[in-house]
Order: sequence, then structure tokens, then C-alpha cells
Amino acid sequence: MSLIAQHISKAFKNEQVLDDLSLQLKEHETLSILGRSGCGKTTLLKILAGLETPNEGNVRLKKGQNVYSLPAHKRDIVYLYQEALLFPHLNVFENIAFGLRLKKMDETEIVDRVNATIQRLELEGMQDKMPHKLSGGQKQRVSFGRALITDPSILLLDEPFGNLDADTRDSMQQLFKRIAEEFEITSVFVTHNVKEAILMGDRIAKLKNGQLRIYPTLKAFLDAGENMVQEEIEFWQSISKTKQNNN
Amino acid sequence: MRIKSFWAKVVAVTFCFPVAYLLLLSVAGHWIFPHVLPQSLTLHRWTALLTGTNDLFGSLILSLVIALSVATISTFLGFFTSRHIAYHQRRTIWMRLSYFPFVLSPVIYAAIIYYYFIRLGLSGNIFGVVLGQLLIAYPYSVILFSGFWSDRIRNMEQLVQTLGGGRWQTYKRVLLPMAQGLLLVCFFQTFLISWFEYGLTTIIGVGKVQTLTLKVFQYINAANFYHAALSSSLLVLPPIILLYFNKKYLFKKHW
Repeated sequence: MSLIAQHISKAFKNEQVLDDLSLQLKEHETLSILGRSGCGKTTLLKILAGLETPNEGNVRLKKGQNVYSLPAHKRDIVYLYQEALLFPHLNVFENIAFGLRLKKMDETEIVDRVNATIQRLELEGMQDKMPHKLSGGQKQRVSFGRALITDPSILLLDEPFGNLDADTRDSMQQLFKRIAEEFEITSVFVTHNVKEAILMGDRIAKLKNGQLRIYPTLKAFLDAGENMVQEEIEFWQSISKTKQNNN
Repeated sequence: MRIKSFWAKVVAVTFCFPVAYLLLLSVAGHWIFPHVLPQSLTLHRWTALLTGTNDLFGSLILSLVIALSVATISTFLGFFTSRHIAYHQRRTIWMRLSYFPFVLSPVIYAAIIYYYFIRLGLSGNIFGVVLGQLLIAYPYSVILFSGFWSDRIRNMEQLVQTLGGGRWQTYKRVLLPMAQGLLLVCFFQTFLISWFEYGLTTIIGVGKVQTLTLKVFQYINAANFYHAALSSSLLVLPPIILLYFNKKYLFKKHW
């Protein structure tokens, strides 16, 4: 296992956001977590990243290392927000190189690794551009590059494509799938979009009332109902029928 | 375009004229009404200043030391304090307290706290004046920086942490560079607050801390216009120099 979280509970004042929640994440897999806005998805990711302290529970990385007491900057878990959050005073190259500079890596190695990442993310020719000159999709690519280059144990993605238009979102989903395979990424992908959860995840989980239900297979998820998939299928079938009738 | 250029020149002349007039008055040997220009010119006041024989030079250095200390301390303390206040649960109360010195006038504020300065032995010395001015400049700095902190900045700080950056690296590589323009604006403004401060400095300094601003008023009260012009010229020069070197940060937005 790459990550094990056990009996995580978190309450804000009188509101119980996470209630005795446990999850296991295998190496090189992406776990999609579905849930409505405000159901505690972000809180869960922040607890795993070390940015939020749970009231109860513990988080272990592979080799049984308990990271409960480790601060966020020593966990080797990168958290990506919905917004790309590029550093506005740094160009694309320096944004991607950021994590390596924190590690005080050799300059030659930084240049080699950043150039390789730029190529993989199809950002050639943009090294010197400042963030405000990039499109939403390009910003998100740079943000991925900045996270991936540090080779984190786990990548936590908090609705990373939520701010993108439909076309860019599709191409970013494909890019992420390709990159996840190529870099053998272990990740937790949070979304409220059923289609995106199915596309991105090797396994799917649902967060509701502070509890997480993990489905072992896609079939188990579809069979469980209450996932809006059936409603979506019926919607598109009705659209298709209307179109046929009109024709 | 021509109209714009004409009005730009009018504005420039309006701003430059008082400075030029002060400089001319400071080198005037003899200038009596109704003469439009001085009847004779002399550099002896400036020479006396530069050779240190005039006590204005001491006041210039003293004012520079006080203003630079106040600007540096209040800018950096204000930056860090405003961050803590921005993320504090009782943010509103702390922000209201920051406005307290400005609700009262600085002179009244100085009169109220003067007792504590006497008890602490800070009355009539440079440390007391620096501390007194900080009580005005520091809250000003906190208020100025309060607009910098937001959920977006906080998310960025957390992102840096997950990328492997500690607290100091977050400041050094992200927060300070991002706030660079605002830091310079704050330094400039707090420098000006200290540089032109009169009432509070008079009360806490009890006349023993003779800053350049105090000297200008003394010369004006004594009807010594030539020395008042010389000290006023010295008073306007450092802000102009600071403004010139920081204009790209003060008037332009970078990102």
C-alpha cells in the first residue's frame, strides 16, 4: 500500500465533516473520490497532505511510516488546487523548477529535468512566458509539471479541471491519464463530476455524510446506484429519442 | 495630444515651482521686495552645511536615521503582523485596533502616552522618538498590508509547503517577491510619515531631538527665511530621490 488512512474524524465547531473514515491507496493507482460540494472532500485531502489536523485518526505512508506528526513540507505529498496557483513573479521555467530549487538541486540537473517536463507536457516555446500570458489549460499544465517534477509519493488533486471549459477539460483529462501512466503516479482525484471520476480513477469512492465508500470495481460502483450514472444514461437516451423523432 | 501635453507642463511647473523657489531662496544673499529675483547670490549657507559648521547637517543625519529606522522596522513588522491578523479568528477586532492611533490625532495620542515614555526613560531621546513614530507608522503598515493577504495567498503558501518548502522558504521565494511592490510603497509611505512628523516628535522629543522638520518650523518662527528655505530644500530632497528610484514600483503594476 502506498497510503493508509485510518479512523479519520474531523469536526468544525458542531459540524462533523469526516466521521471515522478509512482508506487505502495502492501504488500507481488513481482513486477518484466523488462527492457534493461541502461534503468534506477538500478537508480529507488537506488532512492527507498535512495541511489540516484531524481530531482523530492516523495517516501512514508505505513502509508503515506514520506521517501524523510530520509537517506538510516533509510528507512528500503534493496537493493541487482547482486553481493553477502559478507564482506570478516567476516564468514558466522557474515555476516548474520551483520544487527542485527548494531542494537545492544542481543547476544542470534542474535545467535537464525542467526541459524534459516541458516537452512531456507539450509546453515547448513557453519557458520564458509569465503566467498571466497563459491560457487556463496551459496554466494547469505548468501546475502539473511543477508538482510532477518533484516526484512526489502521492499527488492529491482537488477538482483540478473545475475551472476549465469543456474542450480544455477533455484534453486535460486525456493528458492526465497519459502522464499518470508515464510517471506511474499514485494519486487521489477529487471531483463532483461522475463522468470525470469514472474516466480518471482506477477505483471510485464516494464521500457522503462524512463517510467514504470505496467500490472495488467500476461494475460495483454502477450496481450500487445512487451515483447519478443511470439518470445520466436515461437523459442522453431521451435526447437521442427526441432527435430521432424530430428527424 | 497638444492639449494633454500643455496641461502636463502646467502640472509639472506647478509642482516644480515651489522646489525651485526654495532652492533659489536658499542661495539668495539679499532679496528684498519688490525685486523679482535676488539681488545677490551666495553659497555660504550650503558650504556651511556641507562642511558641518551648520547644525542643520546634524539634523539631516538625525532625521535620516529616525526615518530609515521607522520605515524599515514598521514595513517588516507590519508585513508579518498583518499576515497573522489576516488569518486570525478575531481579525476584525485586531484591524479595528490598528485604526486606533488614527482616530485620535498623533499629537493627542502622543500627549496621552507621554507619561509612559517618561517612566521608561524614553522622553527626550532618539529611541523614544523612533518608538513614538512607530506607534503611528506600524499600524499604518499593518492596514496597508491587510489587503495583500487572501485565501488565494494562503492556498499558495500551503502549496509551497506541499512542494517541500518550509516557512522561511515560503517567505523568501514566494511571499516577499510577490509583495515586493507593496513593500516598497509601504517603506516609502512610512518614511514620509516619519520624515515630516512634527507634533509627536515635539512632545516626545521635548525639543532635545531636533529633526529637520522641527528646524524648519524654528526658522520660520524666527523669520529666518533663508535658513528656512535651506532646511526646507533638504527636507524635500530625500522624498524626491526615493520617489525617483521607486517610481516603477509606485506607479506600475507588474502582474
